[in-house]
Amino acid sequence: MIQRLLRPLLGAYLALSVCLTAVHSASKELNLFAWSEYVPQAVLDGFTKETGVKINYETFASGEEMLAKLLAGGTAYDLIQPPDYIAEALIKNKLLVPLDYRNIPRFKNLLPAFTKMPHDPEQKYTIPYMASTVGIVVNTERVKEPITGIKDLFSPKYKGRIVTVDDGRELVTAALYVLGYPLNDITPKNLREARPLLAQWMKLIKLFDSDSPKTALLNGDVDLGYVWGGEAALLWNENKKFIYVLPKEGAHQFVDVLAIPKGARNASAAHAFIDYILRPEVSKVISDEFPYTNPNGEARKLLTPEQRANPASYPQDPRKLDTFRHLGDSGALIDELITDLKNAK
Amino acid sequence: MQALAAPESENLHARRPRLWGWLLLAPLVGWLLIFVVVPMAILLVYSFCQRDELGRVVFSFTFQNYARVFDPIYLRILGRSVGYAALTTLICLALGYPVAWYIARQRERIRDRLLLLVMIPFWTSFLIRTYAWIAILKNEGLLNGMLQYAGIIAAPLPLLYTPLAVIIGLVYAYLPFMILPIYGSAEKLDNALVEAAHDLGAGPIRAFSEVIIPLTWPGITAGMLLVFVPAIGMFAITDLMGGAQVPMIGNVIQNQFFRARNAPFGAALGVVFTLMFVITYALVHRRGQRVR
Repeated sequence: MIQRLLRPLLGAYLALSVCLTAVHSASKELNLFAWSEYVPQAVLDGFTKETGVKINYETFASGEEMLAKLLAGGTAYDLIQPPDYIAEALIKNKLLVPLDYRNIPRFKNLLPAFTKMPHDPEQKYTIPYMASTVGIVVNTERVKEPITGIKDLFSPKYKGRIVTVDDGRELVTAALYVLGYPLNDITPKNLREARPLLAQWMKLIKLFDSDSPKTALLNGDVDLGYVWGGEAALLWNENKKFIYVLPKEGAHQFVDVLAIPKGARNASAAHAFIDYILRPEVSKVISDEFPYTNPNGEARKLLTPEQRANPASYPQDPRKLDTFRHLGDSGALIDELITDLKNAK
Repeated sequence: MQALAAPESENLHARRPRLWGWLLLAPLVGWLLIFVVVPMAILLVYSFCQRDELGRVVFSFTFQNYARVFDPIYLRILGRSVGYAALTTLICLALGYPVAWYIARQRERIRDRLLLLVMIPFWTSFLIRTYAWIAILKNEGLLNGMLQYAGIIAAPLPLLYTPLAVIIGLVYAYLPFMILPIYGSAEKLDNALVEAAHDLGAGPIRAFSEVIIPLTWPGITAGMLLVFVPAIGMFAITDLMGGAQVPMIGNVIQNQFFRARNAPFGAALGVVFTLMFVITYALVHRRGQRVR
């Protein structure tokens, strides 16, 4: 009953707010919903110049935020850029449109290691955009001891000298690695075991920052970080004293993908954009600005030796990397645990 | 409010101003309806709903969200947020009152210039000003650099990402909202009344507490509400200057809607939070009437 009353009201309300912001939307526009600081302006401009399609680049700061806004249904996005495990959830709930590979001939440029990954085993819905790992950054001028794993990072002597990403799942994953459990086994029992470890660590952490953890390291406010590989790569470019270490306990790779959500109005422009960014020279522009791991083999050939030598972008580590899987309801357990622990500090 | 309650005349001409009054009010009423009443109604309904695996709201009735709000974890967060906001309000009052009083007592030309100085920060984006504080407080920042250069401290003081930094950020952000309403009251205050108090034998403390404070009380309450209410819900400063270390109720609510994708629980927190504001307002209002 309430549902029947509320849905139209909510619909009308959303429609009104959409009308207020976007008055016109023609087939000459592409609504792109992507991470902030991830798609260079030059790439957007280049695509518009070539096709005449104007791109509305709307940003989000976490995969969860993206999912929340996508499901709220305010704007009809044509192309979204979820991380792998969010893409998996969208695929499972039938919220993505299958890709038409006839319109993406440059798919062949991608390295095989980045195709048919666990989140999209048939490669039906998603195209990898950029990948990276989560690892440890060490300011070697301030930290003289060798740091090889998560356990070293969270030693009491580094109290108040650590920045980590502000992401509950990443912190829990670090604890699971130390305990030796698989990173996708988020069970009440495993979290109970992780809890004391995390409680001890969180007292040592000076700052939680997912948006720009490199800033505190650059500013000298902290000396160690558990951060995204792309951030570490930028730090290395800035100063070689910042080294990147993949933790010996284990490390995971994340891939951000491009996908077309159900309800997209301009799927043809979305396909065209996907094919555009798969061009080696365009993909190189992305790597120049945001030095994450480029999954495009042809583009990697265009990179400078220095870019390819960046240990945070292209870790020289033969180990197999793990990936995040969609958690379903157990995601809520992580949120409760982290809120609880932060509060107990 | 009292003016509206005045008895209306029965004569025919009174109808036209009333119609005009409603027409003039219409944009405001429409605005409040669309951006306050409707969202609050949606929040209220959501707060009794559940979520599915992806975080979509499922319309099946539950009290569970409210039960969780009263979990000790969240009560403690709420308590801490109130504490930070109260401390911010007190500091703003202590810093803002003398400034507002001083400005109000100046000649008009100087007064206008001083008021302009209070308002100048609003010309820049709030986030940019917060980042400026980061540049001042960081380990290799301006303040530590100056103190070290002057030889006052040997090693940089850890200022940024501490509770102190959060309080500095909050006081900085909300100080003008305390100064301006108090200035409004102080400017209207007739100096003859203060002189009369002195003539009747009141010392400076008594004149201040029994004449000046009651006469500027409307400005004080307005300032306190304008600082206290938004300070409780602030999440940007605690994230940027506090290092997201200690969650405030604003951060928790924001996280529920985005990171945790638990809109029903976030809505329940929001509803309880709004009720708290209403109660605070009612209390301050009642006290105001008693003083009068």
